[in-house]
Amino acid sequence: MEYIIKNGIVYDPLNGVNGEKMDICVKDGKIVESVSDNAKIIDASNCVVMPGGVDSHSHLAGAKVNVGRIFRPEDSVKDIYAKKGLRTGTGFSVPSTYKTGYQYSEMGYTMVVEAAMPPLIARHTHEEFIETPQIDKAAMPLFGNNWMVMEYLKEGDIKACAAYVAWLLKATRGFAIKIVNPGGTEAWGWGKNVHSLDDPVPYFDITPREIVRGLAEVNEMLGLPHSIHVHPNNLGHPGNWETTLETMKCVEGIEAKPRYGERETSYYNTHCQFHSYGGTSWKDFESKAIEIAEYVNKSKHVVIDVGQITLDETTTMTADGPMEYDLHMTNGLKWANCDVELETGSGVVPFIYSPKGPVYAVQWAIGLELFLHTNTDKVLLTTDHPNAGPFIRYPRVIAWLMSKKYRDEWLYNKVHKWAQQRSHVADSDKEYDLYEIAKITRANQAKVLGLSETKGHLGVGAEADIAIYAIDPEEKDGKKIEKAFRYAKYVLKGGDVVVKDGNIVKQIFGDTIYVDVQVGEDLMNEVLKDVEEKFRRYYSVNIDNYPVSDKYANSWRVIKIDATDIN
Amino acid sequence: MKELILTLQKDIIVPVEMDKVIPNVIENLSLEEIKNLELVQGRKRVKVGDLFDVELNEIEGEPRVVIKNSNNKLKYVGSKMTKGEVIVEGDVGMYVGAEMKGGKIIVNGNADSWAGQNMKGGELLIKGSARDYVGSAYRGDWRGMSGGKIIVEGNAGNEIGEFMRKGLIHIKGNVGIMAGIHQNGGIIIIDGDVDVRVGGEMKAGAIVVYGKVDEVLPSFKYEGIVENPVIKLSKKDEGTPIEGTFYKFIGDYVHNKPKGQLYISVENNPHLI
Ligand SMILES: [Zn+2]
Repeated sequence: MEYIIKNGIVYDPLNGVNGEKMDICVKDGKIVESVSDNAKIIDASNCVVMPGGVDSHSHLAGAKVNVGRIFRPEDSVKDIYAKKGLRTGTGFSVPSTYKTGYQYSEMGYTMVVEAAMPPLIARHTHEEFIETPQIDKAAMPLFGNNWMVMEYLKEGDIKACAAYVAWLLKATRGFAIKIVNPGGTEAWGWGKNVHSLDDPVPYFDITPREIVRGLAEVNEMLGLPHSIHVHPNNLGHPGNWETTLETMKCVEGIEAKPRYGERETSYYNTHCQFHSYGGTSWKDFESKAIEIAEYVNKSKHVVIDVGQITLDETTTMTADGPMEYDLHMTNGLKWANCDVELETGSGVVPFIYSPKGPVYAVQWAIGLELFLHTNTDKVLLTTDHPNAGPFIRYPRVIAWLMSKKYRDEWLYNKVHKWAQQRSHVADSDKEYDLYEIAKITRANQAKVLGLSETKGHLGVGAEADIAIYAIDPEEKDGKKIEKAFRYAKYVLKGGDVVVKDGNIVKQIFGDTIYVDVQVGEDLMNEVLKDVEEKFRRYYSVNIDNYPVSDKYANSWRVIKIDATDIN
Repeated sequence: MKELILTLQKDIIVPVEMDKVIPNVIENLSLEEIKNLELVQGRKRVKVGDLFDVELNEIEGEPRVVIKNSNNKLKYVGSKMTKGEVIVEGDVGMYVGAEMKGGKIIVNGNADSWAGQNMKGGELLIKGSARDYVGSAYRGDWRGMSGGKIIVEGNAGNEIGEFMRKGLIHIKGNVGIMAGIHQNGGIIIIDGDVDVRVGGEMKAGAIVVYGKVDEVLPSFKYEGIVENPVIKLSKKDEGTPIEGTFYKFIGDYVHNKPKGQLYISVENNPHLI
């Protein structure tokens, strides 16, 4: 099938195309130079054309997401998705799988990364991926509290750790190294937490600094497409900005050396909003977003996603078990907690970010400040779905960024005055243009994930994942911006028109992307002995039953990396 | 004003959701429009006129819906209504009066579970018995009934008034286990006996039991005997007088500084203290 998208205004930052009127040709699922006269014409007059959206951090599938669904029927009932010809779904903050896929697609997203996959229950994540339509998917297994990782790093055996990481990525069909509260979730298994970068983990006697730095070295030794993806210690605690900066600094000097893709950063700080808090308690709580943004801007190795608070009732879920316990003790709402054997843990708690709450107002402002003060090549739009808000609010976040007027409407009329008093959000006149929006919603993501060869841009050879929005580039009406980005005019996925006028017109199933790194055989055999020993002694499953088998995807896309020089 | 009389033509197997046929909706509709209203029945939709004989009269006063030949397959009767009256001749299904805001429902029969779920105002009178979760929250929610009055002349099932915040539930018969579980306000009065764990995890509000109580949870604190108490739920509350002599307990002390009040008849429970 051939298409020609005519007369759209194109925003394609990876190719430096900034608002040019041009035609885009599509053939056999790819973007091509030209098409024949038989090509179907898609009229994009008065519309904006961008690459398909890429979300690098979202909790959309797997065990803890499903715990959220199961223990929040009151969230389920709030949003019911029932459209003719499509699978029905429910859930406002934790939508069911089909609803998730459809709604991402309606917004013009074509690729989403699940942010936290417990290796032992990777199958659950992949099972839900199979039932999540419209988008390509990948999942990041959790490494920051893994016994084997901590033991190898403690011994200083980076190579063995690298081989183990390679083995686990392949076994779980994982995509990147995720680190959540390094050492803290394991400490939670002992009823404790770690509170600074140099606070040792009980029994393992390793510090978060050693874990983060060690895994960053492993990451670049293996040359993975993505960098380490880090949720640092002390999430959500006043005064945590210092821990955040220290963690960013602790990997200074570790250079990005991807063997696949065009990534330039070696450190990805996720949901940075939750990590940019000043003060010593909630009473003197204040924003340190500008301090964080200044460091990010001058640091070649760092990129951040924001985790913007959307001021909704939502569901928090993370592998940061002790943090969820703190949250539950703060808001008194129901709490689920899970320990995942030798690997990680998790917690789930509902949360109401009321605009009238002083602390929530500051959190909201902190996220916006990060957007407004960070170099737009180094910041990514997320809501840490659903932790800071559901992903269907991305259009609203875009509207806050594009229109000072709309932002001020919220700042002065809807949210608590602490947002003005405890942050500098009111002082910024910055308004994002569509070129910058395209960066923070697709181009930057594709690049830092290492997928920019074929994703996140509209150059010849790219996958034909394309979003077309009915919006005037000069639009400043917040409501209109929201509507345009919530319901795309057209979405193409792999060259198929899947959305038209905001409605799903074709159900397709994307690929599941994972990384298969080959390290030296002797090294791998040595490491496997250790792995087998761990399974014999401690795991509740047999090692042969551990790997995710071939049938756990609609279609796999494997990124193969030769790292046999590690031996 | 209008009076709508619906007579169920025959027994049905698959439940029907009746939430569209409420006084504040029908007052603006013609007979034809009412007959053509679509109701959800299982995974299908049916027209009011296909299930019921429909009669529309002009009357004095507030709009009224009368459902004759009713049975427990009619769900969500009077759900979300804001005014007027709904009168049910026969039994009624789950969720009668769920989320109702005003007006009155009279059930001349028994009600299935979840009667008055998340009720906000108005009055729900059940002349027979009701099953579980009378005046409870939506499943999973911690924000329950916030106003209005529920009266059950017969017995009620388990977990009545779950997460209740405000309003009154009066059960004239006996109730099952965990009455007033997670209660956070409002008053529950039970004329009959209660099964175990009354007031479990309650934080605020009051429960009055005239009948027998086998045991009170150990996390409740005994305060002494009170006579004809006036229940005050807040400093500003002018109080609700209750007649009789009661053991008074405060709980549930699984919470910090709970304000839940439990009044249990001395006369019927000489074994308790
Ligand atoms: Zn996250």
